[in-house]
Amino acid sequence: MRNDLELDAIIEDYLLGKLNAQETEAFEQLRLNDATVDHRVVSHKFFLASMDAFAEQLRLKEQLNHIHSEIDVEGLADTFKPHPSKIIQLWRKNKSVVAVAASFIVLSLVSIYSIQHNNKQEAIYEKMSREISRVKQSQNNLVLDVKASTLHNSPKKPNSGNFGGTGFAVSTNGYILTNLHVVNGADSLYVQNSRGESFKVKSVYTDPQNDIAILKINDKHFSGLSTIPYTIKKSISNIGENVYTLGYPKDDIVLGEGSVSSRSGFIGDTTQYQVSILVNPGNSGGPLLDNNGNLVGIISGKQDQTEGAAFAIKSKYILEAMRAIPQDSLGANRLSANKKSLLSGLKRTKQIERLEDYVFMIKVY
Amino acid sequence: MNNSLKSSVPTDREVILGILNNSEDTLNKLYKAYYAMVLQFILNNNGDEDDAKDVYQEGIIILYNKIKAGNFELSSKLKTYIYSVCRRIWLKKLSLNSKKAGNITDYEDVFAVEEDVEHHEEKDAAFVKMQSALDHLGEPCKTIIQDFYIHNLSMQDICEKFGYTNTDNAKTQKYKCLQRLKKIFFQP
Repeated sequence: MRNDLELDAIIEDYLLGKLNAQETEAFEQLRLNDATVDHRVVSHKFFLASMDAFAEQLRLKEQLNHIHSEIDVEGLADTFKPHPSKIIQLWRKNKSVVAVAASFIVLSLVSIYSIQHNNKQEAIYEKMSREISRVKQSQNNLVLDVKASTLHNSPKKPNSGNFGGTGFAVSTNGYILTNLHVVNGADSLYVQNSRGESFKVKSVYTDPQNDIAILKINDKHFSGLSTIPYTIKKSISNIGENVYTLGYPKDDIVLGEGSVSSRSGFIGDTTQYQVSILVNPGNSGGPLLDNNGNLVGIISGKQDQTEGAAFAIKSKYILEAMRAIPQDSLGANRLSANKKSLLSGLKRTKQIERLEDYVFMIKVY
Repeated sequence: MNNSLKSSVPTDREVILGILNNSEDTLNKLYKAYYAMVLQFILNNNGDEDDAKDVYQEGIIILYNKIKAGNFELSSKLKTYIYSVCRRIWLKKLSLNSKKAGNITDYEDVFAVEEDVEHHEEKDAAFVKMQSALDHLGEPCKTIIQDFYIHNLSMQDICEKFGYTNTDNAKTQKYKCLQRLKKIFFQP
């Protein structure tokens, strides 16, 4: 027993390197000769290694415990503890799912809102563009700015007016119908016939809703017209019907031909037709006639973004306007819907020959 | 608390270098940096504060040993590594206690650390064996052995502490204890 203990002590000293060189050599000799001793050395070595690791582990744990004691565990635990309330627990557990769902809802709401919003904006925009194009129609497209031509023609005609349009006679005693936007805001008005004779006119009736104005020649040189060759068409014209207009986009009368392309006008305006006639500033107020010389409408505007789409006020509004004038003053020989057109059956050139006298250039000062 | 913990989070590089250099400060920072994360995980998965402490310390020890062994390759963030290890340990504990572990609430990314955890468990088994051997030893042998091998007291100190007349007596006593301990330890 005592020898055993001594042996253990020597083995440990040997393994820890505490023996001096002589002792080490002696012990190694012993190890070689005695397998039991060798076995004990190996097992003790393993034991010491285990013990070392164990010790290190314990020391590390001690250190960690020491650090741990510095942490406010309860405070942290309170923060992270599953909440007694089921809802909050549910919220915590499914936070990410809820977040995804919520953001999806928000996203879809935003997109729905923006779609609606965009639509609204678009509608406003169209409305605006309609208004703008109305203005454009009246200002740019249809009222002839004759300043340019004034320069050319000034030696011959010193007084050719600032703006112009077209008008046509509705009675033999000098009532002339045109667009309101042609004569609106005018200081003084003159009409000029195809022979170049000018007469002073005054506005006797305006209908802002339908853009119609009726003028009366008030000039002592005016001697009256012969029977009005055209009549008013009461029924609605069909799409595809051939129509033409005469107007003064320049200083001479100009023919424009085409057909009725729609029964409604600008943005579905049912008081107008859409016609495929190329019209220019100055055409406004011109008569729109069909092949038989029936008055289908009054050229009033065109759409500036679309080619070949002009608009004409339907003829029934001409009748309405004429009813607003005292019937006596129009005289017996006036435009009506009941007579047969004198132009019916004539060739286009003959029709125009007869029409020329009844279509006037409106000059606005 | 939470904020102050987060503010002192050391960089991963700092941690590895610190542990290799036995820096207590680094260990301190490391421990405090990620404790809240593991605590949250354990508390929300059928555990309490004590479980969190055990699991977290085990996780830290695994990381510590892995770094010390010199074969630690930083293939992910330390945070993710610690979380994965602790998660693995806790799942094992849950299944050992046949507690329900079906619906685990995760707070971080996870990657496979099974090998590390198993390696640690093997080592741990040896420590458990050593601990139980020590426990079986009885006093005063247990204390003498602990003082000498774990607390690194000299034989002189032990002699004085236990009131032996001389160090030789103490030494003899120590070797007697050691012999018994080895006997218990090597018992199959």
